[in-house]
Amino acid sequence: MTLAQHSRRQFLQSAGSGFGALALSQMLARDLSGAERHHAAKARRVIQLFMNGGASPMDTFDHKPQLEKLHGSRFDPGNGEKVESVTNSPGFKVLASPFAFQRHGQCGQWVSSVFPHMAKWVDELAFLTSMTSPTNVHGLGSYMMNTGFTLPGFPCMGAWISYALGKINANLPEFVVMPDPNGLPYNNLGNFTAGFLPAKHQGTVIQASSDQPLPFLFPPETARHITKDSEIAGAHLLDRLNRGDAARYPRDTQLEARIASYELATRMQLSAPEAFDLRGESEATKKLYGLDDSVTRDYGQRCLLGRRLIERGVRFVQIWSGAGGPTNNWDNHANIHTELPHMARQVDQPIAGLLRDLKGRGLLDDTLVIWTTEFGRMPFSQGQSGRDHNGGTFVSWLAGAGVRGGASHGQSDAWGWKAEIPTACHDLQATILHLLGIDHERLTVRHQGIDRRLTDVHGEVLWPILT
Amino acid sequence: MMKRVLLLLAILTPLQGILAGDDEASWSFLPISPTPPPSHASGCSPVDGFILQKLEEETLTPSPQADKRTLIRRAYVDLHGLPPTPEDVRDFLNDDDSLEPFARLTDRLLASPRLGERWARHWMDVVHFAETHGHDEDAIREHAWPYRDYLIQAFNSDLPYARFIEEQVAGDVLDPENPWATVATSFLACGPWDESSQMGIQDGTVDKEIARYLDRDDMLTTTMSTFTSTTVHCARCHDHKFDPVSIEDYYGLQAVFAGVDRVDRPYEADPEVGRRRQLLAEEKALLDQGQLPPGAIDHGETIQAVAEWARALLRGSRSWSVFPPHTVTTSSSATTTSILEDGSVLFGGEPPEKDTYHFTLRPGEQTVTAVLLEVLPHDSLPAGGPGLAENGNLHLCEIQIRVSGEKAVPIRSATADFDQAGWTIAHAIDGNPDSAWGIHPQQGKAHQAMFILEKPLRLAGNQSLTVVLEQNHGRRHLIGRARLALTAAETPRLGEVIDPAIKTICEKPPSARSETERKTLTLRYLNERNERARAALPEPLQVYAVSSKFEAIGNFKPALKPRPVFVLKRGNIHTPGSPAQPEALTQLDFKHAAFPGGSDPDEGARRAALAQWLSHPDNPLTWRSIVNRVWHYHFGRGIVSTPNDFGEMGARPTHPALLDWLATAFRDHEGSFKWLHRTIMTSATYQQSADESDAGLEHDPENRWLWRRSPRRLEAEAIRDAVLQFSGLLDLTMGGPSARQFHTSKGVHITPVVDYLNFDPDDRANFRRSVYRFVFRTVPDPLMQALDCPDASQLSPKRTTSATPLQALALLNNPFFIRQSQHLAERLQRRQTGSEDATPVIESLFHLIYNRPPSAEEASEVSAYAEAHGLANACRVLLNSNAFVYVR
Repeated sequence: MTLAQHSRRQFLQSAGSGFGALALSQMLARDLSGAERHHAAKARRVIQLFMNGGASPMDTFDHKPQLEKLHGSRFDPGNGEKVESVTNSPGFKVLASPFAFQRHGQCGQWVSSVFPHMAKWVDELAFLTSMTSPTNVHGLGSYMMNTGFTLPGFPCMGAWISYALGKINANLPEFVVMPDPNGLPYNNLGNFTAGFLPAKHQGTVIQASSDQPLPFLFPPETARHITKDSEIAGAHLLDRLNRGDAARYPRDTQLEARIASYELATRMQLSAPEAFDLRGESEATKKLYGLDDSVTRDYGQRCLLGRRLIERGVRFVQIWSGAGGPTNNWDNHANIHTELPHMARQVDQPIAGLLRDLKGRGLLDDTLVIWTTEFGRMPFSQGQSGRDHNGGTFVSWLAGAGVRGGASHGQSDAWGWKAEIPTACHDLQATILHLLGIDHERLTVRHQGIDRRLTDVHGEVLWPILT
Repeated sequence: MMKRVLLLLAILTPLQGILAGDDEASWSFLPISPTPPPSHASGCSPVDGFILQKLEEETLTPSPQADKRTLIRRAYVDLHGLPPTPEDVRDFLNDDDSLEPFARLTDRLLASPRLGERWARHWMDVVHFAETHGHDEDAIREHAWPYRDYLIQAFNSDLPYARFIEEQVAGDVLDPENPWATVATSFLACGPWDESSQMGIQDGTVDKEIARYLDRDDMLTTTMSTFTSTTVHCARCHDHKFDPVSIEDYYGLQAVFAGVDRVDRPYEADPEVGRRRQLLAEEKALLDQGQLPPGAIDHGETIQAVAEWARALLRGSRSWSVFPPHTVTTSSSATTTSILEDGSVLFGGEPPEKDTYHFTLRPGEQTVTAVLLEVLPHDSLPAGGPGLAENGNLHLCEIQIRVSGEKAVPIRSATADFDQAGWTIAHAIDGNPDSAWGIHPQQGKAHQAMFILEKPLRLAGNQSLTVVLEQNHGRRHLIGRARLALTAAETPRLGEVIDPAIKTICEKPPSARSETERKTLTLRYLNERNERARAALPEPLQVYAVSSKFEAIGNFKPALKPRPVFVLKRGNIHTPGSPAQPEALTQLDFKHAAFPGGSDPDEGARRAALAQWLSHPDNPLTWRSIVNRVWHYHFGRGIVSTPNDFGEMGARPTHPALLDWLATAFRDHEGSFKWLHRTIMTSATYQQSADESDAGLEHDPENRWLWRRSPRRLEAEAIRDAVLQFSGLLDLTMGGPSARQFHTSKGVHITPVVDYLNFDPDDRANFRRSVYRFVFRTVPDPLMQALDCPDASQLSPKRTTSATPLQALALLNNPFFIRQSQHLAERLQRRQTGSEDATPVIESLFHLIYNRPPSAEEASEVSAYAEAHGLANACRVLLNSNAFVYVR
C-alpha cells in the first residue's frame, strides 16, 4: 500500500467514525453474546486448523512399529479383506515411516520428528487417534469434515454455529475463513457455505496477506469522487430517505433491519482494519508465531490474525494449510519423506505459538482449538515412497476450553490401515457443538422435508476427552 | 434463535409421533378434488372467492386496491424482473381509470421476451442450474448454457406444462427430432457432478460405486422435488418416515436413471440435417462393406455422374502417377508392411520408437520433376492415423531420393498442404535430423507433401528410384500409411491423385469397362460423394445433458445399457438387497402405463415411462406442485409454504380448495403458464395494497390469509438488472454462451482461479441481464452472494432475504455499482444540458429508481447533497435505499 493510499484509507475510516452520532438501532443494543444454549457452554469460540489433503497419521502422531518390521513386504491384513486404493494401482508394499518417533510430555504421546514444536504441547492436547471418514475422495472427505455430509450444499460447521449462537461482536463477521494464499481448498468456497441456512451465516473469506483482506470494506481507490465528506453526508441522506420510507410502514421489521445493517457496516469499517493490523503486536509475539522466518511467516501471520479476531469477538475462525490440487498440501502421494516435512514445518511453530499465546492471555480457557484434516493415508506405498488416501483411520486433536489435555481416544490397527475403535467426523462435530453449549441433536433446520443437523443422524459426544 | 428452534421441536415432536403411526396417505397423495369457487360479490375472480371465504372465517378484512404506480411496478417486477421505465408508468397512468388497463398491461407483459428471462431464472433456482461441476474438481461446462435458452423460449412460447416436464426428463427419447427436446434433458444434468470420483477413481472400487449411486440420487431428487414436491430422497436408507414412499420406490427411481451419465452430447440444431447425416452414415456403412445401394449401378443419373467424375479425375490427376513400391523395408523386423490396392503401404505390427523406411519404385522409363508423398488415414492406425503416434501424428525428419542406390538427388523445394506449427515441411529437406515435418492437430485425414527436384531426372527403364524416409524423433512418430506418386510436369502442383487401378479403368472408354470395373468405379464415386456430403454438413451442436453412449474419458465410461441397481439396506453400499425395478411412487394411486421391467435393456424407455407418469393428467402431485410454485413467486409465499415438500413434514396448504381449483384449471387450460399468471394477477387479491393494518398485523402478521400484499425485497438479479436499466446500459441481447463476469487463470488443479474483484466493471459482459450470468458453483460472485443468491449446489425452491453489514458494504462499495451510479449520473446530466436547475434531474432520478416523483423535502435534500458531493454520489445513495430494493 502506498502512503497516499494509506492516508486515503485512513480518512475513509475516520469518515466511518462520523456515524457515532447516528442513533443505534435496537438490534445493536441487544446482548449479542446472550444467545440461548441447551446447556452451559465451556467454549465461546473456536479456531479450526485444517490440514488440507489428508495429513498422514503414521508419519505424525500414530506411531506404528509394525510398519518397520514389515517394510517392503506385500501388505496383507490377513483376514481376506479386499485392499483397495483409489488412485493407486495394486501391488501394495508396506511403507515404514521415514521419521523418528518419540514419546512426549507427561502423557507420553508419540510425536514424530516433523512436529518438534507441537510435541511440547501434547499435555494440552486431546488426541483422537482413530478418526474415520466414509470416503477416500478429497472433495467428499472435505465436505464430510466441514458439513457432516459427503454431498455439496449442506451448511458447514461455522455456519451452523453462527446460526445457533449469533454474534459476539456486531462489528465483525461471526465466521471467518483464512484460506492458504496459494489457493482455495478442495470444494473451494463449498466448504464454507451456509448451504440452506440464510446466506449471512456463510464464512467470510479473509485474504490475510492482501491489501484489502475483506472485499468491499471500502470503495475502490479509483472512485475519486467518493470523499470523506461525501461518505458522511451520504450516510445521513440514506438514513433520512430510509426513515422517511419507514415512517409509512412503521411496523415493517425488514426495513428496520436494513437501516441497522448500514449503521453496522460503518462500524465494521472502523473495527475490521484495526483487527487486521498486526503492526501493534510486539516483536516477541511475532517471533513466537514464526513471523521472522520465511517458511513459517504466512501460516504464523494467519494464526496471529486468528487470535486477534477471536479476541475481538469473532466466533469461529478457520485457518487452512494447503490449497486444493495434487501438490503443496498434505496430499503426499509421491514422496512422504520430502513432501510431509515441507508442509509440517510451515505450520508447526505457528500452531505451537498460537497455543502459547492463547494460554498466556487466558484465552485458551474459553477458546477451543482443533487440528483436523479430511482423512489419513495408507500404510503401504504408492509409487516408491508416497501414500494414497485412506478414510480408514486418521488423527485429529483438540485443545483449550473444556478439553482434557493429554487425553487420547481411539485405537487404530497395527498398521494404521483401519480404526479398531472408530471415531466418526460426526462425533467430533457433536463434541464441538457440545462444548459450545449446543446439543447437536436439537440444532435442526427443516430442509427438503428433513430436519437437518450438522451431524446427519449420527454423532456421539466424546466424553473421555472432556473435562 | 435457539429459542425458536426449540419451540419448533416442542411442537413437532408429539405431532410426528401421531403422524408416523397413521397410515393414511398424506393430503397431497389424494386425488385432486375440483371444488367450484365459492360465489362471492359479482365481478370477483374465482381466486378471490377462495381468498375472501378464508378471510371471512379468520375475521380479516381485505385491503383496498393498490395505487396505479404501485401496481405497475409490482407487475413489471413479477413478470419481467425489471421495474417499469418512467415512460411505461406515464402511459399506464394516462390509460383510463377502469380495471381494464391492468389486464391489458398484464397481457402486454406476458407477450414480452423479458417474461421468459425472469421465469427461467426462477426455474434455474429450483433445479440448481450452474455451469460448473461443483465438488472438488469444479470444471467449467462449456455446453450447459443451451438449457437456459431452452427455458426462456419455453416460457416465452407458453409451452404446455406436460410437454415441459416430458422434454426435460426424456425429450431425447420422446421427441428425438426436436432439438429443443434434447437440450431440455440438460435438466437431469444441471446439478453438481463429482468429477474426481467419476473420472479419477478406478473402476471396481467402492468409492466409484458410491459415486454412481450419489450421482443418480441428485438426478432423482431434482426430478421428484421439482415436479412432485415430494421428498423421495428421504427413503434412501429406509422407508420414508412420514410419507408413503418406500425404500423400493427410491431405488426404483435410481433404476430409472441407471443407464445415463452427465456428459456433453451432440444434437442437431436442424432435424433435416440430422436425417441427412443419418442417411449418409447408413450409406457409408454399406459402401464400406463394398456394397452399392440397390439399383445404383443402373441408375441413369448415377451412370452419367460417374462418367463425368471419371473424366474430371483423369484431367485433374494427369500430372501425378501412383507407383506402388516394388519393395518396402523398415529398420525394425517387428514392423509389418502391406501394400494396399490403391498403391499405398500400411505399416503395423510392433513398430519401434524410431524408424527409417526405404521405398523402392520401378517406374520404368520416366522423366521425374517431383515426388509426391501422401500420408493417409486408416482405421487400423492410432486415432485413425495417418501417423503411428498415440494421437495419429508423425514426424518426418529427412527425406532422400536416390537413383539405383547411388547418391542422393538434390531437392530444390518442398511444399505441404498442412504444417504443424513449428514443424514445417522445410524441415524434411534441411539436412538437420533433429527437425521434422508434422501434422498435429490435423490428424485423422490425408496430407500431401511435394518435393521438387533441382533438375528433371531421366530414369532409364532398368533404373529404380529409392525414397528414404527418416523418422528419428521417437515416441512412434512414424508414418502409418504412405503412397508415392511421380510427375513430369514442368510446374508441379499439389492435387488429386488416383490409384493406378482406378486410373486404368478411367482411361478405358465407358463401353469397354467390365461389370466389375463399373462397380468399382461407382463405389469409388459414391464414396467420394458421401465423404464430401458429410463434410459439408454443419457439425452437430453440443449440450451438457445425459447419455448412455459417449467416448470414455479416463475412468469415466458410458453405461451403454442400464447398470444394475440394488436396494441398499440402510443406504449402505456394503449391504445390497434385491435388484431394484424401475418405478416411481407405487403408493400413488392413479392409472398410468407400466414401467419397463428391470431386464429391459432400453434405458430410454425407463425415463420415458417416468416422464409420462409425471405429466399424467391424473397425477395429483404434479399439478398441485406447479401452481403452488407460480403462486409462491407472485406472493412471496406458496399456498403450501414449503414448495418442495408436500409431505407430512412440510407445511399444510392454507387454501387447499384454491390449490386444487388452480391445479385442475391450469391442467385443463393445457398447462398454460400465461393463463395462470393472468388468472392470478387480474384477481383483486393480487392487486391489494401492501399498507399495514393494525388488525391484520395483530391477527396474521405473516399474512398467511392474504389480507394485504406482502412487501418483498428484489432478488440479487433484479437489483443488478434494474441498476443497468437506470444507467441505460442494460444489454437486452438474448441467448448464447453465458456472460463471464470474472477473470479466470490456471488454478492449482482442475478448478481455475476465478477473480471477480479485478474484473473491469465496464466490461460489456457486465451489461447483460443476470439470467445470462455464468454461475460458478463453488466460487460464486461475492456481490451476488451477499445479496442472497443461493448456493447452486442445493435445490432452492425459495430464497432467503438477509440484511447484514457485509451486504450493505457490498452494495455500497462494489466497483460495478459505483461505476453504474456514475453512468446513471452522466445519463441524467446528458438529458439536462443547458439548465442550471438541479430539480428536474432529481425528479428524473426519482422517476427512474422509484417510479414516483420526490416529495418536496426529498427533492431539496437530494438536490443539496448532489450539489455538494456530485450527482454520482447521490445516485449511489438512492441505489442503496430501501424504497429501491423493496417492492410493494
